[in-house]
Amino acid sequence: MEDAGEMKAKARAANKRGVMGWLNPIHYNLERWAYVFQRVTGVVILLYVLGHIGDTSFFVGGPLGTGPSQASWAFMSSIVENVVGHLILVLVATVVVFHGMNGIRLILSEYGLIFEKPSRIEYPYRAKGLRAIQRHMIWAAIILAIVAALWSGSILFG
Amino acid sequence: MAELRLRIQRFNPTTDSKPRFEEFTVQQKEGMTVLDAILQARDYVDHSIGVRFSCRMASCGSCGMKINGHPKLACYTQIRELGTDTVTVQPMDNFPIIRDLATDLAGFFEKHREVIPHIVRSDEQEMDNPAREFVMSPEELESILQFTYCIKCGLCTSSCPTSATDSLYLGPQALAQAYRYTMDVRDEGGQERMKILDEAHGVFNCHYAGTCSAVCPKGVDPALGIQLLKRHVMSAKPPRRKGEGAKLWVGEKK
Amino acid sequence: MRETRLMQLQYATALLALVLVGLHLLMQGVLVPYGVAVSFQQLLLTYRNWVDGSLLEILLIVVLAHGFNGARTILVEWKQGKRWTSLANWGCLALALISIAYGTRTVILAVFGSAS
Repeated sequence: MEDAGEMKAKARAANKRGVMGWLNPIHYNLERWAYVFQRVTGVVILLYVLGHIGDTSFFVGGPLGTGPSQASWAFMSSIVENVVGHLILVLVATVVVFHGMNGIRLILSEYGLIFEKPSRIEYPYRAKGLRAIQRHMIWAAIILAIVAALWSGSILFG
Repeated sequence: MAELRLRIQRFNPTTDSKPRFEEFTVQQKEGMTVLDAILQARDYVDHSIGVRFSCRMASCGSCGMKINGHPKLACYTQIRELGTDTVTVQPMDNFPIIRDLATDLAGFFEKHREVIPHIVRSDEQEMDNPAREFVMSPEELESILQFTYCIKCGLCTSSCPTSATDSLYLGPQALAQAYRYTMDVRDEGGQERMKILDEAHGVFNCHYAGTCSAVCPKGVDPALGIQLLKRHVMSAKPPRRKGEGAKLWVGEKK
Repeated sequence: MRETRLMQLQYATALLALVLVGLHLLMQGVLVPYGVAVSFQQLLLTYRNWVDGSLLEILLIVVLAHGFNGARTILVEWKQGKRWTSLANWGCLALALISIAYGTRTVILAVFGSAS
């Protein structure tokens, strides 16, 4: 059996960048930043959705409930309808809009619909895969996410 | 010119438990590249520095490494363009380290071989007794030309986030070459390649981070090739194109 | 074809989710004021309206299918090996089905359960 030291040494020799390779986009291109945020927002949204399925079940009395229950719903409302709960909702609205809009860009890109055809390249090489309309779509996703944050903030805190 | 402070990551997996940095002072010269600096340190100060290089002109793909955190070819990066007197060099990520700056590309080449990186023809007779050339129009060549420039330096794979954790992932280099051969009008191996690309750890584990294209020194733009390839994989058949398969000699009827 | 089908499922659920999540957000705070939308009475009306209730159910399935397929992809890229891959594939499927079942239970009880 390998001990921890040997495993660490093996990992160092294998030299894989690991999960930081997913999460750290410093020094890299805009699309890499979009990838990081798509992945992170996806996980955040999934966790929120699971929590949301849990909290909405209190409308019918929670895990042991049998039908719509005003008492149970009032109890859950007292937990989620506050500043922290509303901040979470604003955050979720923001990341949902980013994830969705960036997702549209990814779907269009992965169907090859928004790229120029490959052609003869000249130095200095400017990759067509990194120009094209898809770059504008990343900025659009960011701007729309900010708009969503402001809008939901005004609804929940206005 | 100012002296250069060159920090080289030293690591010998057979004897060291962890990497360390060693500093060398290098006399800068006009037009000096990072590779020149490393070789000056190796030739005059410490002969044991492990570095791989060959052509010194961005043609062989041997000297890929991380230079101040960016994946680049050492022979193709001038000290002056870095804008600093401190240069840190480390081996490329995601490849096993042999020693210091030299990494093991055997697995990388293996993945390249997996995508059948050559023209496949179905008619063996034709291969044994070729009667004429394949005619490829300039437009047909241009549709794959940039992808043929790959020098297999590995910089794309070293910067790919999926390759950072997924040791079975084909990688941007292999996937771009799969596109290059599938789109080549002379090739008839598209169906075979689709099967390989459609597996787990195949083309759909690319999530279009695009760093491969950002770091490629030859303008191959693997990210573009891979996104275009996904469409063909999803349509479950090789792309239709003018002049299916090899064209006969111009003017001759089939 | 399996990876292709999974990816096409991911795209299809993505597009459906875009519409349904967009609608959900609008219904929960823009078209209907937030305070009203989350009130007990309004929720009862929403769940018991066949169209709204069905849309919520479809939203549940679509978002969880998309989310757990994404989680599966992340897990399979993180570590490799037969056991881990099996665990990731079946585990995500199981968690998706369990979550869908629990959420569906809420919808069914809201529609058919006895109010208290």
